[in-house]
Amino acid sequence: MFEKILIANRGEIAIRIIRTCNRLGIQTVAVYSDADNRSLHRHLADEAVHIGESQSQQSYLDIDKIIAAAKATGAQAVHPGYGFLSEKADFARAVQEAGLVFIGPPVEAVDVMGDKITSKELAKNAGVPVIPGHIEAVKDEEDALAVAEEIGYPVLLKPAAGGGGKGMRIVREPEQMKEALEASRKETLKAFNDTRVFVERYIEQPRHIEIQILADSQGHVVHLGERECSIQRRYQKVVEESPSPVVSADLRTRMGKAACDLARQAKYVNAGTVEFVMDAHHNFYFLEMNTRLQVEHPVTEMITGLDLVELQLRIAAGEPLPFDQSGVTFKGWAIEARICAEDPARGFIPSTGMITRYAAPRGSGIRVDSGVNIGGKIDVYYDSMLAKVICHGKTREDARRLLIESLNGYHIEGVSTNIDFVTSVICLPEFAEGALTTGFIDQHFEGGISKRSPSLQYLQLAALAATLIYHTRTVAVRESLRHMVSTIGGKRDMGRTHHYRVRSHEDLFEVVLEGTPVSGEVCTIRVDGSTHKVEIPVFEFFRRRLKLVINGLPYRFRIRFQDSFIFMSFNGISRLFEVYTPKEWTMMQYMPKKADKLLDNVLVCPMPGLVVDVLAQKGERVFRGQNLVVLESMKMESGVASPVDGIITEVLVNKGQAVEADQVLIKFEVM
Amino acid sequence: MDTQYQATLETLERLRAESVSAGGVQQIETQHRKGKLSARERLDLLLDEGTFEEFDVLKVGRGSSLGGVKNYLGDGVITGHGSIDGREVFVFSQDFTILGGSLGEAHAQKICKVMDLAVKVGAPIIGLNDSGGARIQEGVDALAAYGEIFHRNVRASGVVPQISCVMGTCAGGAVYSPSITDFVFMVEDSSYMFVTGPSVVKTVTHQDITSEDLGGAKIHAGASGVAHFTVHNDVLALREVRRLISYLPSNNRLQAPILDLSDAPDRTDPVLDYLIPSNSNQTYDMNVLIHSILDGAEFMEVHAGFARNIICGFGRLGGQTVGLVANQPAVLAGVLDIDASVKAGRFVRFCDSFNIPLISLVDVPGFMPGPDQEHGGIIRHGAKLLYAFTEATVPRVSVIIRKAYGGAYLVMNSKHIHCDVNYAWPTAEIAVMGPKGAAEVIYRKEIYAAEDPEAVLDEKMEEYRRTFANPFLAAQRGYIDDVIFPRDTRSHLIRTLQMLDSKKTKGPDRKHGNIPL
Repeated sequence: MFEKILIANRGEIAIRIIRTCNRLGIQTVAVYSDADNRSLHRHLADEAVHIGESQSQQSYLDIDKIIAAAKATGAQAVHPGYGFLSEKADFARAVQEAGLVFIGPPVEAVDVMGDKITSKELAKNAGVPVIPGHIEAVKDEEDALAVAEEIGYPVLLKPAAGGGGKGMRIVREPEQMKEALEASRKETLKAFNDTRVFVERYIEQPRHIEIQILADSQGHVVHLGERECSIQRRYQKVVEESPSPVVSADLRTRMGKAACDLARQAKYVNAGTVEFVMDAHHNFYFLEMNTRLQVEHPVTEMITGLDLVELQLRIAAGEPLPFDQSGVTFKGWAIEARICAEDPARGFIPSTGMITRYAAPRGSGIRVDSGVNIGGKIDVYYDSMLAKVICHGKTREDARRLLIESLNGYHIEGVSTNIDFVTSVICLPEFAEGALTTGFIDQHFEGGISKRSPSLQYLQLAALAATLIYHTRTVAVRESLRHMVSTIGGKRDMGRTHHYRVRSHEDLFEVVLEGTPVSGEVCTIRVDGSTHKVEIPVFEFFRRRLKLVINGLPYRFRIRFQDSFIFMSFNGISRLFEVYTPKEWTMMQYMPKKADKLLDNVLVCPMPGLVVDVLAQKGERVFRGQNLVVLESMKMESGVASPVDGIITEVLVNKGQAVEADQVLIKFEVM
Repeated sequence: MDTQYQATLETLERLRAESVSAGGVQQIETQHRKGKLSARERLDLLLDEGTFEEFDVLKVGRGSSLGGVKNYLGDGVITGHGSIDGREVFVFSQDFTILGGSLGEAHAQKICKVMDLAVKVGAPIIGLNDSGGARIQEGVDALAAYGEIFHRNVRASGVVPQISCVMGTCAGGAVYSPSITDFVFMVEDSSYMFVTGPSVVKTVTHQDITSEDLGGAKIHAGASGVAHFTVHNDVLALREVRRLISYLPSNNRLQAPILDLSDAPDRTDPVLDYLIPSNSNQTYDMNVLIHSILDGAEFMEVHAGFARNIICGFGRLGGQTVGLVANQPAVLAGVLDIDASVKAGRFVRFCDSFNIPLISLVDVPGFMPGPDQEHGGIIRHGAKLLYAFTEATVPRVSVIIRKAYGGAYLVMNSKHIHCDVNYAWPTAEIAVMGPKGAAEVIYRKEIYAAEDPEAVLDEKMEEYRRTFANPFLAAQRGYIDDVIFPRDTRSHLIRTLQMLDSKKTKGPDRKHGNIPL
């Protein structure tokens, strides 16, 4: 076993690997860029080497610097994590040539599986079902039409290099082919400098199901069951689970065998994942193989009880697999949610900032793999994923409920996250039923908002919580002033009923507190027609999260105060709740509806200074709050943020230009 | 029953009903259509249920000197007293439905009566302004009436808190009353303040401008700084007034009420240790610190849209109201300029008048340079803030967060102007000026004579930074009392305020100083 390894990665996966190494007594070396100077992964490793500037090209993608760091610290092996250089054959080769062990498959396997065309050929040769399609790149439009005719429409145009959905186009009729092919080639050239496109059948209503395999250097191959990763947005996975609701034991065996056959054919060693696409009839077709540890590996770990990173290290150290296929058992169900620094309300643009509040959920069956903590700075240089929350339960429903509760309690402030978006996904009845396809999010969401309104029951609970907070806060003022109030003719209002009207978006609620809520006692609260018994906690307003036991069940709410209103996050609901007394409510009827203010269509310079950088260009779609220009003024650098959502029509300044206060920097077309 | 008595009762009923509906149901509906509440409805929301005692329901004017105006009962304003969260306040609410809420003699006398009583018993005065201005028909009598109100505004200033809530027009001479009061609220889209209205502007200067652009809530919240708070509508305005009152004492002889928000006094916040970027030229948001240290993370910001490079507002520490003044490095690098000095100066003097301790959080690189500021009188205006802090005898505590350079360091509640307790974070840079400026002056000859002046400057800057860009020299001199860990800021502040609670100082015996104006 190794004594010291270098982790060529950052964030949550680096910390994940460090955790296993600590348990096994292996020394860890972390690498970090300028932006990651204060990062958690740097400080948790035994040693850390600074490898360059913030841009990935200058640091985490710089093979020479990483190898140099490994040599300088005496590391014996390199774990590439996922992303970055993990699937670059050049890197694997360089590591080996430097006399170090690459914790992953052989270079040849990385090579052959990295190319969509060669991997598909290998799959065919292994007897693994593949999507009907041509294994050669199409030569021209005529060729494409002929191939499509042969396979049968609808077809998918797929670039040979790269992934993440870039360059992919669906063609349903011959008439669409010309335009689709041109667009696909153009995008592929731009993203991957490669115009090879090939055609295959497009699977409707597909489910993305993958098999985790492990292979040792002695030729033993096992599979660790499947993961369903159908919940994706723009080809990025959001929610994954194991097992899959539609995979029977028999299907698992067949898919597992296919995956292992493929691995053997490729002479694969170490951990890998074979991705399949499954149609409505449970036919599965090979998609691609990922020659590394996957982001969603924890769900497999939770139902098998195995530590995949440990197994990776052992295999790389030459040990044989400590079990065979019959030794692999599955228990319960695990679901994972990926938490990213993005703003679902604004088209999911990456969110930046400093984490000012951080409280992760804890408890039996809850696992949080996080790359950040309080004080963490989130920049735009890297992937926006902050953490993963994985919940395990006896049944799928148990796991789902635990995950909802965990996400409700996951408190991150300072950056926008997709926590409430993910919660709203798993709260949908269709998700509870397991009716998943890769089109799930597009089907049920418009941008980041669910097409269907949240369930009335959830809204009522949120209204109840908002009212209780509002009432307690208001009463707190009265109570504190009690000693100052003239003792002549004062009234006590214990035992009174308190009526409130609550508005959230277009929904109205009538909330009645029967009696004054007292900490430690149960108060009966009515929301419209339904009655609830609520255990009143001690309210700590600064905490901005609340756990309420309502009718014997715990519910977690996250709160933000906005003027005198309360923004509640609960079960995917992220809304402002306006609490009014009945008198105020009557008066509110006369208040004018807030008209959408005419938005500025220019970006003005806030102060005299120098333009250090222009971060966006003409034609780009930008979002309110997104930094567009970096100014240096009064010896300070600051970003100038867009005041609107819109498209840039004109950029009027250049880098290095001196500017005055109120000078127009950028013009927009407001959307 | 005696018929005489019966008749009197009936008259009383009739007159009261007439007074209450004086403007007419239709007029009230017009107000509603404009998105405004009636004068009575506003008081109903402002005050605790069933506590309003009205005065002068039956008072009328003497009759206009220019004739032809009907006398209305109550003369267009509703006055009296009630309670807010159990504490007595005196109120007047102008009724736009009666002669446009215009101010006549009787109207003003009613207001003066409640102001006099308020001072006598030591309770806040809250005015809900919605008036077309002086009642032209009453001529000079109306002007005289205004004068009496202004007189009382000044006499009450610093004795009881005075709050103006402009919920309609407030024009002409009438604007001087709110402007003397301590805080002005304005309602968006329905309130306006200007000395000369758009029609006269058009006649005299031929400029076409709307009421909104001339003196709407947005203008006064941002450009002019006349309004301390803006609110979306009438209902929320009255809520915010109640909220402000909860921070303030009833009069200048008392301290503000204590409010227990279940927030431990020794609560530490690890995020503060990470707040300051490692690069001195990068900004951060001072609001993160403010919300972290205050009870319940509650902060009522005053003048939020005006002079955003300084933050002023009320919060609580250990249950006690405090007045917070903090530089905001994210706006104009946190420099002090004319507007910021004036904004903070007035806020400091309000807190001093009403026994509210002052906490300053300092990150100021200096005063804003340039001819605009110099010609605008930054010398006079900057001195206002210096004067205000120095003059204040309430407990004063300062925490230097990062930069504290030159004159601005002195102005921001430094030890040298007798701030009671001064703390500094390890990231504090207390110096006469920034490294570049200092190096250029001190090592001028060397830099000039060098082969590579840039390199020498960089070297000297680095040397200066290492020596002076820290709090230790100031600590050695006792100019700061301690260097504290950022995460402990709240607990240090609360302990200090506990100690300073019984502070008693008096200024020199004089009528009043001569603060530069």
